[in-house]
Amino acid sequence: MLQIDPKKLRLGAGAKIGLGIILVFVFTAVFADTIAPYDYADQTRSEPSAPRSAIRMFDQNGSFHFRPFIYRTEVADPISGRYREITDQAYPIGFFVNGHRYRLLCFIETDLHLFGTVSADIDAPRVRLLGTDVLGRDIFSRMVQAIRFSLSVCILGGIAACFLGILIGVISGYSGKIIDTGLMGLTDGMLSLPTLIVILAARAAFPLELPPLSAALLLVSIFALVGWAEMARLTRGLVIATRDKEFVIAAKATGVSGPRILQRHILPNISRPLIIQAVILLPAFLIAETALSFLGVGLQEPEPSLGNMLSSATDITLLRSRPIELLAPAFAIFFFILGVRLIANENERSL
Amino acid sequence: MIFIVSLITFALLASAGGDALTALRENPQVSEETIDALRRTYGLDRPLYERYAGWLLNAASGDMGESLSFRAPVLGLVLGRFLNSLYLASAALFFALGLAVSLSLLSALTRSASLRIFIEVIVLTTVSMPRILLSLLVLVLLAITAGTSLQIGRGSLTMFLLTAAALGIPLSGIFLAQIQSSLEATMREDFVQLARAKGLAEWAVIFRHALRPSLNPLITLFGLSIGALLGGSVIVESVLGWPGIGSLMVGAVRSRDVPLVMGIVLVSSLAVWSGNFLAELLQAINDVRIRAGNSV
Repeated sequence: MLQIDPKKLRLGAGAKIGLGIILVFVFTAVFADTIAPYDYADQTRSEPSAPRSAIRMFDQNGSFHFRPFIYRTEVADPISGRYREITDQAYPIGFFVNGHRYRLLCFIETDLHLFGTVSADIDAPRVRLLGTDVLGRDIFSRMVQAIRFSLSVCILGGIAACFLGILIGVISGYSGKIIDTGLMGLTDGMLSLPTLIVILAARAAFPLELPPLSAALLLVSIFALVGWAEMARLTRGLVIATRDKEFVIAAKATGVSGPRILQRHILPNISRPLIIQAVILLPAFLIAETALSFLGVGLQEPEPSLGNMLSSATDITLLRSRPIELLAPAFAIFFFILGVRLIANENERSL
Repeated sequence: MIFIVSLITFALLASAGGDALTALRENPQVSEETIDALRRTYGLDRPLYERYAGWLLNAASGDMGESLSFRAPVLGLVLGRFLNSLYLASAALFFALGLAVSLSLLSALTRSASLRIFIEVIVLTTVSMPRILLSLLVLVLLAITAGTSLQIGRGSLTMFLLTAAALGIPLSGIFLAQIQSSLEATMREDFVQLARAKGLAEWAVIFRHALRPSLNPLITLFGLSIGALLGGSVIVESVLGWPGIGSLMVGAVRSRDVPLVMGIVLVSSLAVWSGNFLAELLQAINDVRIRAGNSV
């Protein structure tokens, strides 16, 4: 249905970088279980707030190892939370090692993980790229899982909002004056509302604590209900601009039905700006999800999302001693939005 | 429009089961009878349409009921907090406008390529920096500099300025991009060429002729940004402890205080509408064409 001329999709350098960033995020979200070396909820209580593992190539005798390795660590001083390495045994790091079981892409059951320590030992030390949090959970694994959750909610919400928006826009642009005026009045009203306050108000209607799946569904439907207006306005404008073009009139003259004209002649011609607008809308949904989870009314612990990771890192002693817990999700949010803006920047000029 | 919004909010809040008294159920010391009695006192046992009609009639006469968690009239509560938010939002707007206008003027005056690149970088980073990250950044800064005596909220001028900056910085990026492009477009217009041909100095050309028409899109944007500021205040105020309408909203949602949520939604929608109205008014003052069009 959507035929896109490849020539029109040629991207500049900035947009290519942006697209690259977004693809990395999508890839991370899809293969989150494989990329995360450990279970996001798995607590190792003996290792709270551990620093990141020192990945080494040289052992303490100074001899070189072909494979990078880590040493086991233990708490040296429980009061200051200092760790020290035990250098008697080196644990090499390998790619595609076996770990906890999960379902890849929802149906292939496997236990392969992108990286981890290679050892027959069950309690081999963990490779902690970003260290652990207060409960001894691996921050990197939680990050990856959080990106998966936040991104799915934001993209699903975006798709639902765009679907609703395009539907309303098409109806508005293609039907008579009364319906058009009414729908556009509604759209303008929606656009002028303070979005986050309306989202919060809608969220207040439901129980505060929800299981993760219903929380996600709730967020997606709220985003769809609140976020369709911009898309509707754009679609209506484009439909009105196209509906009087010669090829549409020609199709009408040959007796093509209304819905078919929309599907075959109008929508394919306005698909490009619509897709770009859909991408531009994504950050707003990501920020809304982050804000809700941050305030404790989105996804709740132990399930990680970028928002609740931020909120658990705002503890004042943590801020000073372990800023990485705050910085990791913050950078993820920043780079995702930057990626979208890079794409948007270029296309706003060409639109 | 506000009527429709209030209706939707009310219906949503009421339909989805559970209210401010649901939590009381968990308390073994409170009997069913007490809860039912409380329900009757607050009118929660009446059907939805009746409650909405009652609320609407009262709201129309300026009485928005009593907050269930604060035990105080909603209107006074919301207006008091709204004033706090208004200070903050004005400072944020002032900050954003000042930064955007001065940078773009500087760029037009000097026409330096490096300044233009600098502006583009600033625009890109500020619009990619959501308010939640900015306010956390402020918090980190404070945590590092203030030591153990960290105090947030409405105490010092520094705190006020930092909070306003966290609220205003994303806006400044949007403003900057807009005025930069409109000023560049205006500088290519014929009347600017004419002003130059008259022998005016470049600064006079910009200030007397180019600046005013380039401000028009910015004024429209200003009207639209009130909603963004109010929405953003939710996050900034709750992170940095500013006692405004945003942090009040979070508390109201957490305690499921329906009258308070309704009051906040109503007041903030009104604020957005008056912001848009103000923007149209300003546009009429600034843009001669709009005035002429209206009077003919």
